[in-house]
Amino acid sequence: MPDWGRTTLELMVQELQHPVRLDESFDRRVMVRVRRIYAERRHRGIIGWLGAATNISRRPAWAAALAAGVVAVVSVAIFHRTPQQGPVGQAIPVQFVLVAPDAHSVAVVGDFNNWGLNDTALVAENHNGVWSVSAPVHTGVHRYAFLVNGKQWVADPTAPRAADDDFGQPSSALVVEASTQ
Amino acid sequence: MQGPTGMESSDAALVARVLHGEVNAYSALVSRYRDKYARYAVHMLGNREDAEEALQDAFTRAYRSLARCEDPERFGAWLFRILVNRCRTSGARRVRRGQTFVHDETALLNASEEHPAEQTMWREEIERALGELSADQREAFLLKYVEELGYDEMAEITGVGVSALKMRVMRACDRLRVLLREVHSA
Repeated sequence: MPDWGRTTLELMVQELQHPVRLDESFDRRVMVRVRRIYAERRHRGIIGWLGAATNISRRPAWAAALAAGVVAVVSVAIFHRTPQQGPVGQAIPVQFVLVAPDAHSVAVVGDFNNWGLNDTALVAENHNGVWSVSAPVHTGVHRYAFLVNGKQWVADPTAPRAADDDFGQPSSALVVEASTQ
Repeated sequence: MQGPTGMESSDAALVARVLHGEVNAYSALVSRYRDKYARYAVHMLGNREDAEEALQDAFTRAYRSLARCEDPERFGAWLFRILVNRCRTSGARRVRRGQTFVHDETALLNASEEHPAEQTMWREEIERALGELSADQREAFLLKYVEELGYDEMAEITGVGVSALKMRVMRACDRLRVLLREVHSA
């Protein structure tokens, strides 16, 4: 502590350190929100879909060259229209691509696969340094990132950064619309 | 929260249960950090209503992104980082609305009953002085002295460099010295 007004500062800090107590209604209000989110996720079928996530379709090497365009087209839509919120229930195949010649492994994690929990990350295939993977993603607004070498989170350089990005890891925004099918 | 063995569940254990679909386990984390972090939000935002809203939002955001919590054993620190960011947003919004910094009436009512009038005046002076600080200085001062974090922890939470944080704390102290001088000498 500074040597000025030491007593004043100590008294002030002592006062400010008094606990602020919230009643249990606060917990209930939070849990109402949390259960609503949980119900929405179940409604989208994400949890059920995750079980099949490891059986993703694998595309041949030539598909990687086209894939960058797929993600770019889908992602660029966020600049031109109001994002469509909420589940529509339709899953659209989306191909994710990352150019990373030095990587040993690349996976895709996002809110559509519970951020890779329980081995649900989408494992990309390496095509001479161009990593790609395709997976069905429900229509709506999503956040995702690439997980390089199993530990490094990398935002998609071809997509807009997600606005809600204060959780310590970079992520990108993805808009999947039925019209892009 | 008591586990099967009677031991309190760790943050990591509770996070794992939530991530495996046991949504009600999250309420234990809410109860664990509710009051601890309410204090920071109330002092940072200056009123209980905004503080509760910010804290609710932080808990909700944390739940949405729980799978991205890299170290579930340090869930509390991760949640706090989200709350600090949320308070910044809320504070900025309040400034745009032109709202004045007001004291926490409930906290005043809960003040010591030994000398209620003096205690209330003292708390009012403290809250007024905090409100006079810039948001950056108030944040740094609260994290350093009220939450008793080290500068490295503060840097991790705020994303601000250690030297800049030290400067903010020093300036906050200088400002508080001026603002509270009359109270101190009275």
